[in-house]
Amino acid sequence: MKAVGARLPRYDGVAHVTGRTTYVDDVRVPGTLWTKALRSPVDHADITGLDLSKAEKMKGVQAVITWKDVPLLEYGHLSALGIPADEPLLAKENVRYKGQPIALVAAEDEETAQAAVEAIGLDLDEKPALFDVRKAFDADAPKVHDWGNWYPHFEGEMDRRQIRKGSIDEAFEQADLIVQGVYRPAAIEHVPIETQVCQVVPEADGRLTIYSCTQALYFSMGVVAAHLQLPLNKLKFVGGTVGGGFGGKVDTATETMCSLLALKSGRPVKWRWTREEEFLCSSTRAPWHMEIADAVTTDGWILGRKMLTLHDSGAYARFSPYGLTKHSFHHTGAYTIPHLEFDGYVVFTNRVPTTAMRGFGVTSVSFAAETHMSRIALELGLDPFEIRMKNANRKGDTSPNGIAYTDPSTIPTIQAVADELGHELSADYRTATSEPRTGEWLPEHLVGQLGDPEGH
Amino acid sequence: MAVHKGRGISAIEYPTGMNQNGDPSQAWIKMKPDGRVDVFSGTADIGNGSKTIQSQIVADTLGVPYDWVTYDNSNTDSSPVCTGTFASRATFVAGMAVKKAAESAKAKLLEIAGKELEIDAADLEVEDGMVTAKGAPQKSISVADVAVAATWTHGELITGTGAHMNPYAAIVDPETGRVDLPPHAAISYAACAAEVEVDDETGHVKVTRLVQCFDVGTAINPTLVEGQIEGGALQGLGLGVLENCYPYYPSVDHRGAQFGSYLAPGMDDLPQVDTLIIENPSAGGPYGAKGIGEMANNPQPPAIAAAVHDAIGVWVTELPITPERVLRALDAKQEPRREGKVVAFDEELSVNVLSDGGMTFEVPA
Repeated sequence: MKAVGARLPRYDGVAHVTGRTTYVDDVRVPGTLWTKALRSPVDHADITGLDLSKAEKMKGVQAVITWKDVPLLEYGHLSALGIPADEPLLAKENVRYKGQPIALVAAEDEETAQAAVEAIGLDLDEKPALFDVRKAFDADAPKVHDWGNWYPHFEGEMDRRQIRKGSIDEAFEQADLIVQGVYRPAAIEHVPIETQVCQVVPEADGRLTIYSCTQALYFSMGVVAAHLQLPLNKLKFVGGTVGGGFGGKVDTATETMCSLLALKSGRPVKWRWTREEEFLCSSTRAPWHMEIADAVTTDGWILGRKMLTLHDSGAYARFSPYGLTKHSFHHTGAYTIPHLEFDGYVVFTNRVPTTAMRGFGVTSVSFAAETHMSRIALELGLDPFEIRMKNANRKGDTSPNGIAYTDPSTIPTIQAVADELGHELSADYRTATSEPRTGEWLPEHLVGQLGDPEGH
Repeated sequence: MAVHKGRGISAIEYPTGMNQNGDPSQAWIKMKPDGRVDVFSGTADIGNGSKTIQSQIVADTLGVPYDWVTYDNSNTDSSPVCTGTFASRATFVAGMAVKKAAESAKAKLLEIAGKELEIDAADLEVEDGMVTAKGAPQKSISVADVAVAATWTHGELITGTGAHMNPYAAIVDPETGRVDLPPHAAISYAACAAEVEVDDETGHVKVTRLVQCFDVGTAINPTLVEGQIEGGALQGLGLGVLENCYPYYPSVDHRGAQFGSYLAPGMDDLPQVDTLIIENPSAGGPYGAKGIGEMANNPQPPAIAAAVHDAIGVWVTELPITPERVLRALDAKQEPRREGKVVAFDEELSVNVLSDGGMTFEVPA
């Protein structure tokens, strides 16, 4: 019997639904200390005083850590992609968002740890905060980040991600209609059933065993090794079964700090975020601001797209430059548009840093581009299925950055949905395929624009 | 005061693998002395089903029954690198790694089987736990017997390693964004129709039906891929009409800190979901698979926004489309500015209005 293509039950499904799967929070290690965090109570401030003396002397407190305890305070998670480090593991001179961790306590129980956190003296000099990405570029905007209010380190030290193809001016000139719109999908929480959680055990052989809910064992191990300045043979990550991630558990939110507490106390340490922390202090999907102006013809061809994207990154860069680049590569959606002018900025604000989430970088532009397409269809009085199929990617059409599509399915997926709904397509569209453009499917503005349908 | 029905559609695409690639996965496989198979892979299973998918790929590639395969992704001492379970890459990239590891183990298996049968390994094939000579099925040996012979007769280990990485696509011109190689492992496609009912008194948007078609390349496991698509549909519905960390964005006030104050979709919100699957195989994926895990929540919000407009004649382009936003839009009845060939919607949200000149979005009149 072939396994590929078979409706086999989920490998670990029975264990999940009978409650027998061991998640990180199910790991029990005798002698474990519990962790609580001192987090910034304000959106933006300089730290002018931090007094640990009372907390450190409390009965049951075994370790308190601040930025001083981190061998490498700032580590660029995507340094391999040329994205430099900007975020301290624990706040040093300032805090840039409400909820930013400043100090952590490991104690015999959660109540003691929390009491010790509350005994830490914290002096702050509050500063004005920036929340609206549209105001970030103004001269009087509060300054969020050492790099300024937007990320300046794209290739060639450009301060934005650009896509240029064809001539947008020509497209606007030739257009019968220029349709503009503004699209703003919201920040949302990942809402995993399992909140961020970690258990670290210092082993007899000097290694650390790190029970982790990460979506990426080796990635997170690399992050911990970098901050702790340890070789990989000193660490063992245990995990691989995640109680809900959706992108939020790429963050390595707890593993490094728990490891530091375990090393400092010599004891097993656990940190389990409360639901409030998960909602308020964990990273979110980014809010996006997108403006589109499309040059269109009355018979429904999209000649050109000008687009501005402001990606609300929150207080630090994390994965946002990567997400914006992915966004830019896909800003034409499922369609072929020959003239493009895209400018995208990763904008810093005084909110919780945003991170990867299901559809990272593209969920936003799918909403913008497709809602815009629906508006264009209505403005032109065209069938919303057919205008999409007309402009749909076909074999040999090229992407915003010049790569030929080899196996597109925009046309058959639309045909299938139309069939299911009983929506009657006209004859040309009923029989349309993804094969390379010829005849009426190859309008003048796409002549000379096509690549090799085999992708060579 | 009435409930209005509407329908909207969308069509989307989404890349498989990390943007620009360069994201490796590795795996290794060993066979126990009775032919049972241990797979070691570093892929976290976040509910995407990678334990199942990778076990299926190994079973067919190595030619053993699915239930002979044990899958271990539990720790970094045993398992090699997997860049991670994100970017819709696990089925494709990590799936290729286990496939290559299984091909490598199969070569060793057939080498031992060849010695036992005194037939050149190139003339053998293996399926469902039996090694047979091509064109002479009476000449055969079970995989279990080959494993016994490998261990106790030949003193060898049947094992294999595999790694897969699509090469990194560099941006060779930052002015234009041009790249030197395909920046994706594959691209998947989907179309979606949303049907809604909008109450013009309360502003409530009820999504009643989602019809969705996804090109999945090859459905390694149809049940799991349907699960991804239908779970994604509910998450997309949340994006469309329910969820928001900052209800008065960009203000940070009124953040919900509990399930009671942050509206994630529940089973009550689940509409009729009709799932259609197209298999348009990828060139480079395991058995032609593409990755669709993430895009599953992308097509619903724009289809819902268009359906709401179809129902009540107003556009809400700030998500989610909450009752408050619906009622405000009905009150405002905002029309686009029409001037020359320009039709400009949503100008009140633009940087041109909100920025003090620091950022503009200029379009010719």
